[in-house]
Amino acid sequence: MESQNNNPNPNPLHRNSLPSSMPVWPTIDGSLGLSEEESVTYARRFYNFGFALLPLLWAVNCFYFWPVLRHSHSFPRIRPYIVRSAFGFAVFATVLCSWALTFAIGGERLFGPVWDQLVMYNLADRLGLTSWS
Amino acid sequence: MREVNPASQPQYFPVTSFDLSQCDYLSFFLLLCNLAMAQTQTQRPCSSIIDSLGEEIVRIIAPVSICMFLVVILVSILNTDSSLFDASMSMVTMAYTETTSDSTWDKFLGALLNSLAFVVLVTFATFILVLLFYFRCTRFLKLYMAFSTFIVLGFLGGEVSLFLIQQFNTPVDCITFFLLLCNFAVVGVLTVFMSKMAIFVTQGYLVVIGILIAYSFTMLPEWTTWALLVAMALYDVAAVLLPIGPLRLLVELAISRDEEIPALVYEARPVNHGNLSPRDLVQRRRLWRERRVDNSNLQTDSNSALGHGSSVEFPSGSDGNPSNNLNMVRENPSRNANPTANSPGGSYGCISLVNAEEEPVRVHETDSELSAPLIDRGMNVQHGRGEDAVPSENLMLEGIGLGSSGSIKLGLGDFIFYSVLVGRAAMYDFMTVYACYLAIIAGLGITLILLALYQKALPALPVSIALGCPVYLMAKGNADVGIKPPTLPHHYHCATQTSGERYQLCL
Repeated sequence: MESQNNNPNPNPLHRNSLPSSMPVWPTIDGSLGLSEEESVTYARRFYNFGFALLPLLWAVNCFYFWPVLRHSHSFPRIRPYIVRSAFGFAVFATVLCSWALTFAIGGERLFGPVWDQLVMYNLADRLGLTSWS
Repeated sequence: MREVNPASQPQYFPVTSFDLSQCDYLSFFLLLCNLAMAQTQTQRPCSSIIDSLGEEIVRIIAPVSICMFLVVILVSILNTDSSLFDASMSMVTMAYTETTSDSTWDKFLGALLNSLAFVVLVTFATFILVLLFYFRCTRFLKLYMAFSTFIVLGFLGGEVSLFLIQQFNTPVDCITFFLLLCNFAVVGVLTVFMSKMAIFVTQGYLVVIGILIAYSFTMLPEWTTWALLVAMALYDVAAVLLPIGPLRLLVELAISRDEEIPALVYEARPVNHGNLSPRDLVQRRRLWRERRVDNSNLQTDSNSALGHGSSVEFPSGSDGNPSNNLNMVRENPSRNANPTANSPGGSYGCISLVNAEEEPVRVHETDSELSAPLIDRGMNVQHGRGEDAVPSENLMLEGIGLGSSGSIKLGLGDFIFYSVLVGRAAMYDFMTVYACYLAIIAGLGITLILLALYQKALPALPVSIALGCPVYLMAKGNADVGIKPPTLPHHYHCATQTSGERYQLCL
């Protein structure tokens, strides 16, 4: 009896009868965003395109479908893509950050003369990128 | 900042003390933080009309302020030699390239010629845009928008970040740099291309595009910049309010077809009026507010004035007969009768229409696509409202916007030209920046009020530019004379009297 009297929807913004306050909308924009069917297409497309060296797309995927990521056992069709996108983004970000930090901190001591060739401001000067017309 | 009460806004118009130039900068920053926080607050239902109105206004003023602020920062950090950009600005300075050895009159004439040429170009490009939109070449327009966004984000963004890297000597390697730049540009293109992307991401990218283009415009020679601002403000008025104006035609077309404007338009997130539950919001499926019957307003042709030009748009209830209204053809097949379909018809995807300028694409295409009018969207509470609908009532229920979700739309050209003005001021003094910022925000506020009153697409540039330019001259004139608060009225008097001579001294 007590459980029946409990408010089945602790979150007033989510109107459903499930006790776990499952989100209604899969996107972060809520009702202004996508419906569930379209979300599957979008999530899948973002996930697949992210493999073209676009970790930012994975990050956008996770951001856009944040409710899916946050509430496990919700939107079972969308969730695999989002979880994999999050994992891919984390891996890519770790690799990139470690490389960038090694490059920045190591400097010439670690890389030798290659460092001067790789660093961006030298490259810009050499290629004349900043005086682009 | 929970409540934004437009009636009492001490934070918008503080009493400035001329001694505290650094404090002004800080308060400017704090004000922006406040605005930014208010902008990104969750969509709580607003409890009163003042709340919702204030929230709507804040949601459009905040990104404008952020854009201006970042352009000011860029301008003050990067003191690049303007010769770097001369070639790229060749389209704008095609009539005349200013040199320091020219006399004032030559500079003035040259600036006029430049701005005239630019306005002619923009008009021409906007008419082409209207034509393409009329013949439903949506695919081509979208592709062109995506292409120009890629150019702006990739090349302009890359150049600005290279300047920053050189300025701060950050040891970034080329692999990381190009990877990040590529990511940034491609995701930006996707947000512009796809109609349904995260609202925050879309808005962020539009602001970034505005910042980049505004920064490149600040590299123009001084006289040309000011002539260009005034010329664009006049063009805006003409293009949006005249019956043959291209922007007006574009908006009319878009509204009559209930389609998105094919241009880069910033749309503020709609405010949840009247405590609607999230489910109820789904019912609003139209892009534009259905034209309400307005007995006093017989502007049948004034409804669709979107397009390039910084203007505020409203579809006004034209004639007294909603049934034989302009063809509300549902172009978008995805909008069906399914109540669980997406809400307000893809209004958050900004289909950017880039006006075709071959040459420094980054100068032009943005201008025509970006200067879309400021569009107010009203929430479509009921379809087919009766003849005796009271516009003011609906206004309060639905929000002051034109679109079906009550949100306000502001063309990216507005962002750009506001930021150009403030960026120019930043080259001089921070006090000038603050004064110009306040003038522009005041102008934008006035435009929004007019938007709410007239329910029609309005140009957003003229009022702000009209307020901003004199304020810039006054602030600059004051700074030249010497800043002493007790003698302030005297200095204003001096400045206005000898304005011609002082102008020569200043510039």
